[in-house]
Amino acid sequence: MKVLIVEDELKTGDYLRQGLVEAGFVADLARTGTDGLHLALTGDYDLLVLDVMLPGLNGWQLLQSLRRSGNALPVLFLTARDQVEDRVKGLELGADDYLVKPFAFSEFLARVRTLLRRGKASIEPTVLRIADLELDLMRRRAQRAGRRIDLTAKEFALLELLLRRQGEVLTRSLIASQVWDMNFDSDTNVIEVAMRRLRAKMDDDFEPKLLRTIRGMGYVLETSD
Amino acid sequence: MGSRLTLTARLTLLFTVGSAVVLLAFGALVMAAIASHFDELDRDELAGKLDYAAQLVATMDRPLSKEAVAKELASSFAGHHELVMQVRGPSGMVWFASPGVEFPVSLVTAPHLSHWRSGGRTFHGLEKTLLVGATAGGALTLVLALDTAHHERFLQSFRVTLWLFVACAVMFMGLLGWVSARRGLAPLRAMRERAATVTAHSLDRRLPVQAVPPELAELAITLNEMLERLEDAFKRLSDFSADLAHELRTPVSNLMVQTQVALSLPRDAEGYRAILESNAEEYERLARMISDMLFLAKAENGLVLVHEELVDVAHEVRQLFDFYELSADEKRIDLQLRGEGALRGDRLMLRRALGNLISNALRHTPVGGTISVAIDQDAARLRIQVQNTGEPIAAAHLARFFERFYRADPARQHEAGEGIGLGLSISQAIAHAHGGEVAAASNDGLTIFSLTFPNSR
Repeated sequence: MKVLIVEDELKTGDYLRQGLVEAGFVADLARTGTDGLHLALTGDYDLLVLDVMLPGLNGWQLLQSLRRSGNALPVLFLTARDQVEDRVKGLELGADDYLVKPFAFSEFLARVRTLLRRGKASIEPTVLRIADLELDLMRRRAQRAGRRIDLTAKEFALLELLLRRQGEVLTRSLIASQVWDMNFDSDTNVIEVAMRRLRAKMDDDFEPKLLRTIRGMGYVLETSD
Repeated sequence: MGSRLTLTARLTLLFTVGSAVVLLAFGALVMAAIASHFDELDRDELAGKLDYAAQLVATMDRPLSKEAVAKELASSFAGHHELVMQVRGPSGMVWFASPGVEFPVSLVTAPHLSHWRSGGRTFHGLEKTLLVGATAGGALTLVLALDTAHHERFLQSFRVTLWLFVACAVMFMGLLGWVSARRGLAPLRAMRERAATVTAHSLDRRLPVQAVPPELAELAITLNEMLERLEDAFKRLSDFSADLAHELRTPVSNLMVQTQVALSLPRDAEGYRAILESNAEEYERLARMISDMLFLAKAENGLVLVHEELVDVAHEVRQLFDFYELSADEKRIDLQLRGEGALRGDRLMLRRALGNLISNALRHTPVGGTISVAIDQDAARLRIQVQNTGEPIAAAHLARFFERFYRADPARQHEAGEGIGLGLSISQAIAHAHGGEVAAASNDGLTIFSLTFPNSR
C-alpha cells in the first residue's frame, strides 16, 4: 500500500511518514503543493494525505487539479481548521475524509486503513475473530475458547468495534463516539469502567491477554506476539 | 456634495439665506414706500401750483391771449427751475411750452401723476383744465411737471446705501449664524473629542451625558451603552487569553521538565517509555484544553453555527444516562429522570451542555447518592434541573462555578479524573448561544444546576 503525504510542517511530515512506514505502508512525502500534485499525478499511490495550508498550491487547489485531471485517488485532509464550512468545502471538492489537528496518530491510522479498505468489495464477515475469541454478529453471541460470554448490548458493540479495528489503538473519544454516540470529550471515567468490565468478561480468565491499555493513548485489541 | 457639508456650514448657510431673504424683502418695501412718498409730495406740490395757476388765469383780463397767459404763468413760476409747463388752447393747440421738454399728447387722468421721460430727464406731471368761462369759447389746459432728477439722485444714493447695508447685514448674519452654529454644536465637538480618546486601553471612558443638551443625551447614552458592550467583550477576550496562557503554562512546563530530566541521563527503554506515556497524557490534555477553549471562544462570540432542530430533551438525557451509567454504577449512584420537554436548538451542543452538568454532578456526588434530572416545560420556558446529593456548597463558590477554569478547591488541581475546569463554562456558553440561562443553587444537601431556555424560539 503506497501513501503520499503532502505536508509542509517538517516534524509533522516526518512523523507521519515514520508512523505509516512502521505500520507497514510505503510512504512518500512532498513538502509543497506543487511537488505533491506532480507526485500524485505520476506516482502510483493508493491514498493521498493532504494538508490544507501549503506553500505553492494549497490543499484545496491541489485536490481540485487532481480531480479535474480525472484522478480518483482517495484523499484524507489534515487541517488545523475545524470550521464546519471548511470541512464541507473539503468534502465537496472531493476529499474522502477529514481529520482536524491535533489528532491521535492511532485515529489517523484507523482512518487511513478505512479509506484503503473502502472500495475493495469485501463480503461483510458475520463472525469476527481474534485468537480464540469469536463474536457472532448475526446471533449476537460471543465466546472464547468455546465458552459462552454474556455481554450487555454496549459491551457487545464495544467488542465489535475493537475486533473490527484490531491492532489499532482506539482513543477514548473515538470509542465514546462510536459506541455511545457521544461526540464530545467527557472528563469521566466511563470508558475506563467499560473497558475494565469488558476485560473482566473476555480476558481475565483466559490466556493470552488480548485487550491492552496503551497509557496516554487508548486501547488496542491484539494478539501479544 | 450638498449632503457632505458640515453641520456648521449647513446651519450657517440656512441662516444666511434666511436673513438675506428677509433683508431683501425689507429693502424692497422701504424703496417702494419712499418712491410712493415722493410721488405723493410731487402730486401735492403740482396740485397746489395748478390751483394757483387756475386762480391766476381766472383773474386775468378777457379775452385771453396766448402771449398774456404765457407771460403771466412764466413769470409766476420763474423761480422754480425744476418746474416745466405746457398750456393748450381751447382747440387743443399748444399755446406755450417750456423749451426743450417734450410733453406727451395725453396724460393719465388726475389726481394720478403721469411719469414720462424726455431728453434724458424724468418728469412727474399733472394736468388741469382751467375753466375760463363761455366767452373764451372753450377751456385752457395747463400741464405742470416736475423734473425728478433731484428725487432720482436721492433715491439712487439711498438705494446704494440700502443694498450696501443689506449686503453687510447678510454677511454679518452669516457670521452670526456661523458663530451660533459653532457654539450650539460645541457639545457635539466635545463628544467627538472625548470619543477620539477612547482606545483599547481606555474603554472605560464614557461620553458626558449630563453636560450635553437633551437632544444629544440620547445619542451619548446609546454610544455609552455601545462602549460598555465593547468593554465587556474586550475584557472577556483579554481574560480569555490570560486564562489560556496561564492554563497552558502548567502542562507545557511539566512536559519540558519531564523531558529534560529524562534526557539528562541515559535510561533504559522502560524509562523512556514511561516518560513518553506520561507525555502522551499531557498532550492529550493539552489538545483537549485547546479544543475546549476554541469551542468556548466561538460560542461566547456567537460564532458557532447553530443547526436548529427540535430536540427531545428527555431522549437526550436518557442517551446521556446510558453513557454515564457505568460511571454512576461504580459509585452506586442512582440516576433518575422526571418530566419531558422539547426545545429548538443544536442537538449536539445541547447534549454537550447537559453532559457536562451530569458529569460534573457525577464527580461531586458521594458514593450511594442520587442524581436526578427534572425537565419542566410551560408556555414560557423550558427548565432542566440537574440535581445531586452532596455537601452544601458556599454561595461564594456557586456564583463562580461557571467561570473558566474555576475549581472550588484549588489544591485539587490536575488530580486524576478531575476536569480541566471548562465543562460548566461550556454549558453556560451553549445555554447563552440558545438564548438560555444557567444557574446553580445548593441547599438541604442538594446541589442544583439548572438550564432555562425561553420557549418561544
